[in-house]
Amino acid sequence: MVLKKRFALCLAVVALTSSTTLPATAAPWTRGFVVSDYQFAFRYGGRPDFTRGAEIEPGADCPHGSSNHFNSSNLDLIKNALARQKWRSQQEIDWISKPPGLDQVGEPAKVRNYIWRRALAYRGYKRGIETYTNPWAAEDPGQPEVTGRIAEGVNLDGKVGPNDFVSPDGEKGIDNALYRAWGCDAPWRGNSTFARAIKENMAFGLYTMVLRISGNQNPMNDNDATVEIGYSPDKIVKDARGGIAADYSYRILKSTQYTRLKAKIKNGVVETAQEKHLHMPRIAWVYQQTGDANLINGKMRLDIALDGSSGTGLIAGYKDWRDLYAEASFYYDAGSQDTTGHQDHVALYFALRRNADGMYNETTGQYDGISTAFRIRMYSAFVVDPDKPMEIPTVAGEQWRMNGTEANKAAFFKGIETRIPQDPPPGVTQTAAYPSLERVMQKLPSRDFFLTLDRPHWPVGVGVDQFGNPIDDQGDRIDSRGNKLDEQGNPLKLSQSQHQVGNGVPATVAPRQEQ
Amino acid sequence: MKHRIGIGFVLAALCALTGISSAADQRPAASDNLPMVPAAKTGVFTATKKGADGYHLVVVGHKFSTRGDIEKYLAYRAAELTREQKASWFTFVESRSKGDTAPVPKRDPAGLRYSFRMEYFRPVWRYKTSGSPTWKSWSPFAGTVFITDDPKSITDFEVGADIDLHKGQMDDADPLAFETQAVSDLLINQVSPPE
Repeated sequence: MVLKKRFALCLAVVALTSSTTLPATAAPWTRGFVVSDYQFAFRYGGRPDFTRGAEIEPGADCPHGSSNHFNSSNLDLIKNALARQKWRSQQEIDWISKPPGLDQVGEPAKVRNYIWRRALAYRGYKRGIETYTNPWAAEDPGQPEVTGRIAEGVNLDGKVGPNDFVSPDGEKGIDNALYRAWGCDAPWRGNSTFARAIKENMAFGLYTMVLRISGNQNPMNDNDATVEIGYSPDKIVKDARGGIAADYSYRILKSTQYTRLKAKIKNGVVETAQEKHLHMPRIAWVYQQTGDANLINGKMRLDIALDGSSGTGLIAGYKDWRDLYAEASFYYDAGSQDTTGHQDHVALYFALRRNADGMYNETTGQYDGISTAFRIRMYSAFVVDPDKPMEIPTVAGEQWRMNGTEANKAAFFKGIETRIPQDPPPGVTQTAAYPSLERVMQKLPSRDFFLTLDRPHWPVGVGVDQFGNPIDDQGDRIDSRGNKLDEQGNPLKLSQSQHQVGNGVPATVAPRQEQ
Repeated sequence: MKHRIGIGFVLAALCALTGISSAADQRPAASDNLPMVPAAKTGVFTATKKGADGYHLVVVGHKFSTRGDIEKYLAYRAAELTREQKASWFTFVESRSKGDTAPVPKRDPAGLRYSFRMEYFRPVWRYKTSGSPTWKSWSPFAGTVFITDDPKSITDFEVGADIDLHKGQMDDADPLAFETQAVSDLLINQVSPPE
């Protein structure tokens, strides 16, 4: 009898509880987020106390540390890179490595850097092939790769392969071959230069990425939820401490950078279904890098805080490795990144191609995609539809940079598919530090020699300098009638000509002995 | 239905006329003159199966050009054979003999990984000089300088290499591993069969 009474009481309590909570948990709900951090999901295994600094030290991921290409403290690195081109003379290698008379110029480090950029842009099997546009025409310089077995990411193919990683939580079958290929590359490793650049430029308004999660059950547990991800035309609102201000409104554009995915939520962990094309903003730190990430067979795993105020997540899928190379190489002179960031884009190209593991191409018998994962951090926001449909806005003043980058991408694709070396097009890429080198080495005694190195040649008025000004084939600014201008754009007085090639006897070099 | 298809054709034609293009349009047209290595005469290149995944490759000729040119041609044919066999990379099997002094290639001490290292594609040579019926041989592992006879006196040569074919993830730490497509891309514009 007592038991029966207790049972009845329990039933009453359950019924009462259910009647008060069920309507709330079953109600339609929506949560919005604005992304503050967006980077490749590379796992860093270094020791913070290492003497060489936290960015380059060896770790569990990269036992030899980060890439160290073209480090100016070791001239052998540049000499070895140049010696791979059998057509270079020994004197050419020596002069490029250590330009004679460098101490007589105002900014010796800058001049040497530009000379290296010029030389490193031409590493083909013969003279005249620009090898950032045509990396396939160069020897592979080699790249340190991740040898650790632990990686963040997602099992994209549903298999546990011999080369798959294990997640930090112990999940097997993690596909993140991009991490293996590029995870030891200096500017991407650790608290990386590029990750910081992306975060800072998103905060400054370069682009905004938002997510909207909705369902009909409960934000923490929902079997039939929806995740939307896309571009917002609204700049990130910062709080007084420079962080992300919570709960501001952002419009989400249903544009070329928008995807809606089915999802399930369990204890605050959102798992989406795989989507054939996952469109969303791609990582960028300058305008000409922006665009659609376009992940193939993409999916997301998001971890939402209990109070919904923030979240972290992984967005994974296969990305065309050729796009990855182009997006990393042609927003500016790849040689500039290589000489300052200790990268080598030619090495990065080969690392991508040999680690490609998805998007099998029946025609070529090759993999066109590489498994990739992005890591995001996000904060609560109101994500709303715009009053009327709108396209992603363009920045008119930056369009010439975008056009130059896209032209270089097209040349790269054409080269790789035809195996016919393509000339680099003019534009923001500033291939081979042209015409910057011409301008900075005016007082270098060996200038005439360095003017003989390979560089791009464009018809007068087609080429542009780093600011988009038309130039002639000597790299000098010109007006619309082809008259020379000074660097400020003023008509050049011939008596003060500073840009003519020196009248001295050109330096000559002896051919290197046949190896 | 027909009406819709008609509209589709009109739109497609308009796109073509107005120059609206996609990334795919930037890809090369079939009419582009793609690089092509001239066909070799019969017997210039032979590939003999050796074991489950191995091949013995030989290039023969009568007109010596340069060591580099002929060895590159052999490397190109090795890559093409690997592709034809639906494999994605091959390893070069060194033909060493007792007493060879050339150092055995090791993994890069700085931990670099490679798609190929052409300096380790080192085939062995046999050749005859004019007036001599006997074959002379030269091994890159013997530690001796390359053929010292006058190149113009060489009337016959054979360059041979053994390779093993592989599928799947490349062992890019192996200095003797070569990624097929990368090798083919690099060499296609550089090689032609010897005469």
